[in-house]
Amino acid sequence: MQRIPLTPRNDWQQKVESQGLTFHTLDSGTPYWDESAAYEFTAAEIDTLEAAGNTLQEMCLAAAQHVIDEKRYAELDIPAIAIPAIEWAWNNEPPALYGRFDLSWAGAQSGHAPKLLEYNADTPTSLLEAAVIQWSWLEEVSPTLAAAHFGAGKPDQFNSIHDKLIAKWKDIDPYLSKPIYFAGLDNPEDQLTLVYLRDTAQQAGLDTLQMFMEEIGWNDEQQAFLDPDEQHMFSIFKLYPWEAMLQEEFGIHAVESYQGTRWIEPIWKLLLSNKGILPILWQLYPNHELLLEAHFDTAPSANSGGWQDVVVNGSSATPSPSGAATPTGPGGMRSYVRKPLYSREGANVTIVRDNATIATTDGPYNGPQIYQALAPEAVFPGNNADPRYPILGLWMIDQDCSGLGIRESSGPITDNLSSFIPHFFR
Amino acid sequence: MRRSAQVAAPLLAAAALAMLSGCRKPEMQRCVDENNKVVADNLCENQPNQQQPRSPGMGGLLPLIPLYHYYYGGWGGYGLGSTVGGGGYAPAYGRSYATGSGRTTRGGFGSSFSSGSRGSGAGE
Repeated sequence: MQRIPLTPRNDWQQKVESQGLTFHTLDSGTPYWDESAAYEFTAAEIDTLEAAGNTLQEMCLAAAQHVIDEKRYAELDIPAIAIPAIEWAWNNEPPALYGRFDLSWAGAQSGHAPKLLEYNADTPTSLLEAAVIQWSWLEEVSPTLAAAHFGAGKPDQFNSIHDKLIAKWKDIDPYLSKPIYFAGLDNPEDQLTLVYLRDTAQQAGLDTLQMFMEEIGWNDEQQAFLDPDEQHMFSIFKLYPWEAMLQEEFGIHAVESYQGTRWIEPIWKLLLSNKGILPILWQLYPNHELLLEAHFDTAPSANSGGWQDVVVNGSSATPSPSGAATPTGPGGMRSYVRKPLYSREGANVTIVRDNATIATTDGPYNGPQIYQALAPEAVFPGNNADPRYPILGLWMIDQDCSGLGIRESSGPITDNLSSFIPHFFR
Repeated sequence: MRRSAQVAAPLLAAAALAMLSGCRKPEMQRCVDENNKVVADNLCENQPNQQQPRSPGMGGLLPLIPLYHYYYGGWGGYGLGSTVGGGGYAPAYGRSYATGSGRTTRGGFGSSFSSGSRGSGAGE
């Protein structure tokens, strides 16, 4: 695994826009889609990542079964009203489509296995970047890459996401009433992610409609969710987290009418998208090479919790202004990340190295937290020799590890402003 | 090859083009009371044009601002009793609006995240 500086295509903005990526540049002017570099892997490294994704999926399903069998919902801060729907959904296996494992790894040369940071099992994004934009990028730059780096032969990419999505829609078609509604928030990233998923469903032959979450109606007389034309919504793909839905006005209706609606992702994904699954995995598979030591916070929570999603890649971080001594974490951990069960996009995270807080972020969430050991260092030199921190996103289409997307940051915390870097392998 | 054989996403490309060319969705049209709280649409539909009877004993008819108005655009949902803002009492030129309807309430999902560009989505 190495980071290769590249010259971006002259008209890359127009090209990615024409393929569907309008949000290619951050408000700061920095590219979000950043093709000034790419990560190169060996085929053996891709094999390692694919196997890691499939193994982690099996482990996570076993962990979900364990939570249900042992009724450990309270540790995951799951509201009691959701439990009957979770158990029904788990036992009846309504359709599930996708998820994304976030891993830290510096490649085979590091001597370490990839380490699971978290599982975005409910509302993963950066999908069209991974499935469409980087595929098209490689299609165009492949001859240049081959000439510069390989001589003969074409570079490949771990990316069958598009084909697998279409195949999965065909697979679950018999379990879904049509049209399938795709609902999300009114912003370009969420709407275009929905359009892309809708595109794959339509290419699989399924009828679809798209709307905003706010437009979903509830009719008490019919005890049903209705679309803006007052039509009963039987099958709904929502790009909206279950933990938020459960806190909102219609949450109670969603769980009470659960058996009459096919929600994708199903509500049992709440068990896996929850950071609490990390200490449970560690309890079930102690010292597993793909896991980082993790524990629930047994002390009362003083602050934190985040309404944003975060992955923290271990390694050296910029010291925080405080640099204050921090108590040793559970299990005697001296270097760890503390993050809320429902944290999102970088808020309320604290990184501690050798009992000193080296980075911390603010945020609005107040809730239980977990401690996770820092991952082995995974830092690569940037185009200007600045440190770059990649996070490897392994796309699961149902149970199959189907592709890779890489987010990269200038610091150890990956948030929603981190860039997307394409990859290839040989 | 570990890649998809062919990646064609025409719906996605068309949606991106529409987004870049400024295609807009219909905005909300809700009936609200004097405190900008959402009430049933039929209260606006039955609203007299310019005059409204005063209470018995107050005598005669007075020109009054209607108790209920349609409220166009802005934030808030369709949920009865919820507060709206950021819009206006008159429709904006060139915009389209959609009402909630009947016994169906709307706006019960979507309140946990603010709208905006990248960085305020519900994905992760």
